[in-house]
Parts: sequence; structure tokens; C-alpha cells
Amino acid sequence: MDRLKILRIIILVIFIILISRAAYLQIINGDYFFRLSEGNRISVRPINAPRGKIIDSQGKVIVSNRLTYNLYLMRNEIPPGESSEEILAELSEISGIDYQRLINNYQNTDVKSVIEPILLARHLSKEEMVVIVENNDLLPGIIVQEASLRDYIYPENMVHTTGYIGEINRNELISFNELGYNYRAGDFVGKSGLERQYEFYLAGQEGAEQIEVDNRGQKKQTLGIRKPIAGNDLTLNIDFELQLSLEEILKENFDRLRLEAEDDEERIKPTAAAAIVMDVNSGAILASSSIPNYDLNLFAKGISSSDYQKLSNDPLRPMLDRTVMSDYPTGSIFKLITGAAAMEELGVRADSSFYDSSGRFYIPNWSRPFRNWLDRGEGQLDFVKAMARSNNIVFYELGHELYKEYRGDKLAEYARKFGLDQKTGIDLPSERSGLVPDDQWKRETFNEPWYPGDAVNLSIGQSNLLTTPMQIAQLFSVFANEGILYKPQLADKITSPEGEVVLDIEPYIKADLRSEINDSTFAALNQGLYDVVNKSYGTASHHFLNFPIEVAGKTGTAQTSRALTNHAWFGAFAPYEDPQISVVVLLENGGSSSFSVPIARDIIANYFGVDEEDE
Amino acid sequence: MSWKKKFLHYLNFNVPLTVFLLIIIGFLSISSAVEINQVDSNALVFLQRQAVSVVLGLLVVFILQAYDYRIFKEYAAVIYLLMIGLLSFTLLMGRTVAGGKRWISIGPINFQPAELAKIMLILVLATVIDNNSDDMGYLKGMFWPSIIAFIPFVLVVLQNDLGTALVLFFIYLVMLFAGGGNIKYMALVFGSGFLIIVLIISAHVMLDTPLPFLQEYQLNRLIVFINPDIDPFGSGYNIIQSKIALGSGRLTGKGLFAGTQNQLNFLPEKHTDFIFSVIGEEFGFMGSALVILLFLFLLWQFLKIAEEARDRYGYLVVIGITAMFLFHVLENIGMTMGIMPITGIPLPFISYGGTFMMTSLTAVGIIININLRQNKLMF
Repeated sequence: MDRLKILRIIILVIFIILISRAAYLQIINGDYFFRLSEGNRISVRPINAPRGKIIDSQGKVIVSNRLTYNLYLMRNEIPPGESSEEILAELSEISGIDYQRLINNYQNTDVKSVIEPILLARHLSKEEMVVIVENNDLLPGIIVQEASLRDYIYPENMVHTTGYIGEINRNELISFNELGYNYRAGDFVGKSGLERQYEFYLAGQEGAEQIEVDNRGQKKQTLGIRKPIAGNDLTLNIDFELQLSLEEILKENFDRLRLEAEDDEERIKPTAAAAIVMDVNSGAILASSSIPNYDLNLFAKGISSSDYQKLSNDPLRPMLDRTVMSDYPTGSIFKLITGAAAMEELGVRADSSFYDSSGRFYIPNWSRPFRNWLDRGEGQLDFVKAMARSNNIVFYELGHELYKEYRGDKLAEYARKFGLDQKTGIDLPSERSGLVPDDQWKRETFNEPWYPGDAVNLSIGQSNLLTTPMQIAQLFSVFANEGILYKPQLADKITSPEGEVVLDIEPYIKADLRSEINDSTFAALNQGLYDVVNKSYGTASHHFLNFPIEVAGKTGTAQTSRALTNHAWFGAFAPYEDPQISVVVLLENGGSSSFSVPIARDIIANYFGVDEEDE
Repeated sequence: MSWKKKFLHYLNFNVPLTVFLLIIIGFLSISSAVEINQVDSNALVFLQRQAVSVVLGLLVVFILQAYDYRIFKEYAAVIYLLMIGLLSFTLLMGRTVAGGKRWISIGPINFQPAELAKIMLILVLATVIDNNSDDMGYLKGMFWPSIIAFIPFVLVVLQNDLGTALVLFFIYLVMLFAGGGNIKYMALVFGSGFLIIVLIISAHVMLDTPLPFLQEYQLNRLIVFINPDIDPFGSGYNIIQSKIALGSGRLTGKGLFAGTQNQLNFLPEKHTDFIFSVIGEEFGFMGSALVILLFLFLLWQFLKIAEEARDRYGYLVVIGITAMFLFHVLENIGMTMGIMPITGIPLPFISYGGTFMMTSLTAVGIIININLRQNKLMF
């Protein structure tokens, strides 16, 4: 029976091994496996946070959110023996969502951890959502979570200012997260306008639900919730009633002018229009519009590439916000700057007298004359009347005098004092700074000196001068309040979803020109602006006959290199005695300021509640 | 002395007692594995079926006591032919479940003949080895036992039941050893067999030659046994989840019905092959050690009974049955702990499954029979 003994020993050895192994797993490594078992049954589901609302100054909600559903894949909830591809194929079959789209999103994900959800599709239709939820037994690892979709109550109004949203791109992802934010691939972020400018306030913070799942990924119970934090609401200075009226007026005129130009060989179609209403005592932007525009709803779910191509290739460039992203020569509006420089630097006074004999101005040793817009001499004019008549000859002379005294720098220096050649600092991304040419600029750009002809051209707002409509709105505000350069601002405050003020945006004074520029200068120039509108000889007066509000303004018809294609400007402030608003209207390739003046008049009339009969 | 007292005079009470305890533990853990605590579970169906098997098995135990175990020696040829017939019939007519033809149905009763074949082989092998006991040290003596074991082994392999085939092989090996088989020849047979298997698998992996016996999934099980992390969501999943379940029970366990691996279905096959993981998760090391020690204790009693058997045939039968249980316990528990490859053989008395429960109880009945008849003076 020796062999029985050996068998006993073998059995003993086997059982010692089994018990040691049990002790090794359960006692020595018990805590480790316990943690693993916790990790096994716990899954994390995202809870989307709504983006902040955009609200006008009267409390009217302009942009909000509505409920939609996003589709995710949880890799840790896929049972063994089933592959993601199989489940996605099943999902495509059941829901009708394109398989290729699902598989692309699955394969291109940045998500590395298996317990993190992979976004498969955004903003499911109700039908898709219902059929997926009903079949969730067949779709382990597939979850549908509530999400929010930007809800544009006025999808075709204030389009550029609001701006559009889109899926975060790689560069944004990197740079935003370097700033300390917590973005993930697939997030929607502001791409332009206020949505971009206030992205970090508007964006909510995704929450998460920790749940217990079984091996099919079915939820058993909630273990914990990290609440999502809704984005902050953005309250604007914009008065949306005014905004809607302004857009209506602007669009109506723009369409009409384009239509009229079709039948008139002397005229060409304006290619764009912009209008701004600004509070002269705070810099608050009350209304601002650029047309042509587009439908914000195109972007709410992420724009399709064909739609994007169509928008980008539109020759009228509807994506361009003309109020800040385009710049144009000012034409005669610049005479405000030339006038201010002349009064301050050359001792010109309101009653200084000038003489326009022929409607032509000659620079010594220069054969070509510089012309007035009128082909005959206007005789004797004082400085204020020269302003009201927008007489080029007088301002050529002033520009030439400034050149003789100070060469190419003085006029540019004044232009910069009034905020040109630099961004206004408005709370919008991609603002252009425009250009005020001077001696140094010309040498650097063309390797040529600043000629007297350049100075003369600049004095009436030509040469290479470029300004944005926002800069011109700012300019009329400075004249209205006689010296305080406010930063134009769209946003008034940012409030948390609980109503707490997160950021209160106060009016911001960029410069106080009263220390540099005499009251009498503002008084004389404003008198000129008043006469433009209110004296029978003023260039805008026939559009303001019997207008019950006293308006001061200036026309501008800026020549471009092409014939007939003048940009038409009108800038104004009102009421004259106690100014509240400045208004700017620009018609890109609008032909003549006689088309822009009535638009501005209608906007002012609307603002002050002037009835048609009162005019 | 009454008949009853005489009958029970030699009974080793430890055997029925231990078996009874193991069955109780089995019912508890199956209840948890089939989630009797959940409202919508159909746990009662499982428990009823298991109870029926236990009752039938006990009936067999009692009926067996009416006959002397030596009757099996007399009918060895009949038993053998019956076994070959059953296994062949299964192979031809059986129901295919999970990749293997293992079941046959007689009316409402489904059973796996391969389970029964384990006992039948033990009874026949004991006869053949006993008859050749004088020649067991030579090749001549080992020839017939080997042929006898080889035929059912092949039939079971053809059913794709690798687990049972290994049990048969282990039984054959241990009985040959206990019966005085020549160690040198055994080592040679075993060694060359092992070498051939290694060669076949290497050739398949490296040269893509066909696998004669193994299915692809069985090979995968062997590979992931060596390294489960190769495929954590595929073939390696079972091993990983089972180890997590066992380990996370720590010393005292998560409590009955409170094992998350079990209740949330991360454990595969938890009421059958992986029942030991449920025990380990819910009762901790205390529970798993208790079960292991109970099995050790039971096998120890078996060896004692073998030692006291009235004849060499009885001794060999007990050794064969001991080998069967030993292999089941080692393979099943070892598999749940990740130290044996996954072959899917049940844990005796504990796993859910009617055929093997009845097989096990029949085996115990035979052992008790041998135990009771150790004294030649009886009856």
C-alpha cells in the first residue's frame, strides 16, 4: 500500500495549493480585487449642461436652448463576446442612422478610457431617440442622454453679433484646455460673435452620474451625481425691439436699392449694409446689424459642409460682419478730424472765412486739380458752413496747411486721438483696426514719402484711409458727448443661472479728449453737424424736413477705385441739445450718401418713436 | 444486534455528513447565483430541478445498498458495452448545446451520458486491472486497461467534451498507478502523449495545421489561461471576472446575495462552472477555505475506505472515484482561481446540474456500499 501513501501526499499537496491560492487572492490581494469589482459595476454617464441664454436689455430672451438627445457608446458596458462594430451595426439597423457616420465617430474619438462615453451622434430626432431607447436590450453599451440644442428664437436677426457655434476643433481644444478649462472633443463652442467672445461664461460644465450597471450595461441604481453647471446668462445692452426695427429698415432699403439699381444703368447694386445705434453716454451698443446675413439654425446642430461651402462661396460674403470685420474709407466724415486738427493746430475758428472760387484746388507744382463734389465754386464760406456744405476745397486747403506745417503726421495723430487706426475694443472677436495712413506707413508700404497730394486726399477721408462702421459710431459718440471716448460694448452683465451677477460690465472710458481739445472746437464742429441736417443748405437737410427731433450728422461718400462704386455713409447723433444716441449707416458700394441718410433717419425716428405724420 | 445496527456498524458517518454539508452549501450558493432575491428571477425552477436530482440521487444511494458492489465486477462487460453504446448514441443522435453534442433526451429527461461514463469506466477499469493484477508491472498487464480507457476517451473527445475526457484520462492514470502499474511505462505513455499534444498545438499556432481534437475556442481558453490579459473582453474575460469575484470577497465576504460580481452578472456561468467564485465573493476566504477543507476531508475518508476495502476490486473502485472527485475539485476550483485552464467541469455536490449530481451521489453510494461491506462476515 505504498502507493496509497503517495496518493495521500499528492492530494494533500493539491489541497495546500488550492488553499494557498485562495488565501493569496482573497487575503493578500483582496483589497486590490475589491477595488476592481467596484470599478466593474460602476459606470459614469455624462449629464450635459445647457449653454447660457442671451438676453436683451429689456429682459427678452433672444437665444435659449431646447431639449435634445445625444447618443453615446460606453465601451465598459459592452458584454464579452460582442464587439463595438457589431453593436454599431445593430444600432444603425434599428435607428436608421448611417453606419459609416457612427463608425467614423467611434473610430475618430479622442476618448481613451473605456469608462468614458464616446459621442456617436448629436441631436437625435425624436423618432431615433424613441426607437433606440425601446430597443436598449439589444444595444448594450449604447446610451441616450439628454442634451441641449441652441434655440434661436430669431434665427435671422442679430446674426453676426450673436455669432454661431460649432464643434470644437483641435486647436481650440488644446488652447482652451491650456487656459485651464475642461473641454472635450465633440463639445460645441462659440465660433464667432458673442458666442465666441463670452464662450467661457456661456459654456456650461458637464456633470456626471455615477451609476451601478450590470454586465449588460443596464442601470441598476444611481450611486452619485455630480450636478452639471448650466452656463451663465449674457445680458446685452442691445434693445431687441430697436434691433428688430433697425434690421427691418436696413433690409427693406437694401433690397429696394438693389432692385432699383437693376433698372438703372447709372447705379450699381449695393453689396452690403451695416447700421449701428450706440448710447453716446456709455458706449453701450443698442442695436447693430450687418446684411446680408444667414440663418443661425444652419449652425445649431453643426453645419453641413455643403451649407458651409455655400455660405463661404456666396459673393456677397454673408458671414462677414460689416460693423467690425470690414473697413472702408470714410469719405467726408473724416472732415470732423481734419476740422478738429485745423482748429487746434492752425488756429482756425468757427467764423474763419474761406473762399471756393472754382470748385478746384491746386497744389503748387502739381498739375491735376483736386475737385469738390460740386463742379462750380461756392464763393465765400465760413468754417461751419464749409462743414455743413461738406465743401472739399476748404478741407483740401486745411489738409495742405497741416501738411506744410507738420508734414504727414499731424492729421493721422488726430485721427488716432479719435479712435481710428485701432480696434475699438468692442466685445467681439475678429475686429479690424482699420488704417490711418501717414508718412511712416507710406514709406514702409510703398517705399515712398508722404506727398502733399496724400495729405490733401486724406483730409476729405480718401487716400488709403480705412475705418469700420463701429469706429465711426464711436467717433460720433465722442462728438456728441464732447470729448469722452467710450469703448463700445454689447454686453451689460453676466449672471449665473441662480441670478447672481458674475460679471458687471461698466461703461469704460478709453480716453478723455477734453484735456486735449477745446470745448470751442467741439462746439464749432457740432454746429457744423447740426447745420448739415438742419440748415436748408446742409447736405442731409432735405431728408430731415420737419423732423421733430434735432439731429446732427455728416454724410460721407467714399470713393473706391472702381467707378460708381462709392461707399455711402451717414453718421449722426441725436437729440442735438442732449445727445442720447449716435447712429451710423453704411451702404457698401451704395453709390451716394443720399441713399444712406434716409435709412439713418428712419432708425432715429424709430428710436424716438416719431410717427410718419410728425415728419 | 438488529439488522439496521449491523448494517450501520461499519458506516463511516463522515461521508454522508460531509456530502450533506456540501449539498447545503450548494443550494445556498445556487440561490444567490440565480438571484432568488430578485423579484423577477426564475430561481425556484433551478432549485426545484436541483432538489429533484438530489432526491433521485439519494434514492440510487439507498437502492445500491441492497446489492453487493461485486455485482458490478460480474457485469463489467455489460457495463462497458452499455457505456460505449450510450456514448456512440450521443455522438450520433445527441442534442448540440454550446458547441458540443453531449445531451440525450428520454422523454422529459435530458442527461449527459458522459457523466455516467465516468463511473462506468471506473467500474470496468477496476475489473480489468484486478484481473491483470499479476502482470501490472509489465506492458502486458497495462495493455487491456489502456485499450478499455482509450475508446470512451476518444468518444468523449469527439463530443467536444474536453473536460470530461481529461477526467477519464486522470481516472485511468490514478487507477493504473494505484493498481501497481509500471511507473516507467506510465511516465513514457503520459510523457509522449503530452509531447504529441504540445507538438500539435505548436504546429497549429505556427504553421496553421488543422487541430485534430481541439476546437479553436478550446485552444483559445488554453492560451488565455496562460495570459488572460491578452483578450480581457473575449476569452480572458471569464478568468478575470472570476478572480475579481473571488478576491473581492476578502476574508469574510460581501454577504449572501451581496456579491456584486455575481448579482450584476459579471460572473459567467455562475450557477454551474463558476459557483465557487460566488462562494468566494459572498463568503470570503472563510467560505472558500471551508469548502476546500470539506472536500479534503471527504477524499481523506474515501482513501480510508479504500484501505479497508474487503478486496482489491473494491479498493480500485474507491480509488477511481476518489480520482474523479479530486480532478473535479482541482480543475473546477483551480479554474476559478486562474491556476487551471477553463474546461467547464462542475464542482461536485455544489454546481447546478442534474446529471453530475446524480453521478456524484451514485459514486458516493458505491463507496458507502464498499464501506459497509468491508467485513467479510457481513450478511
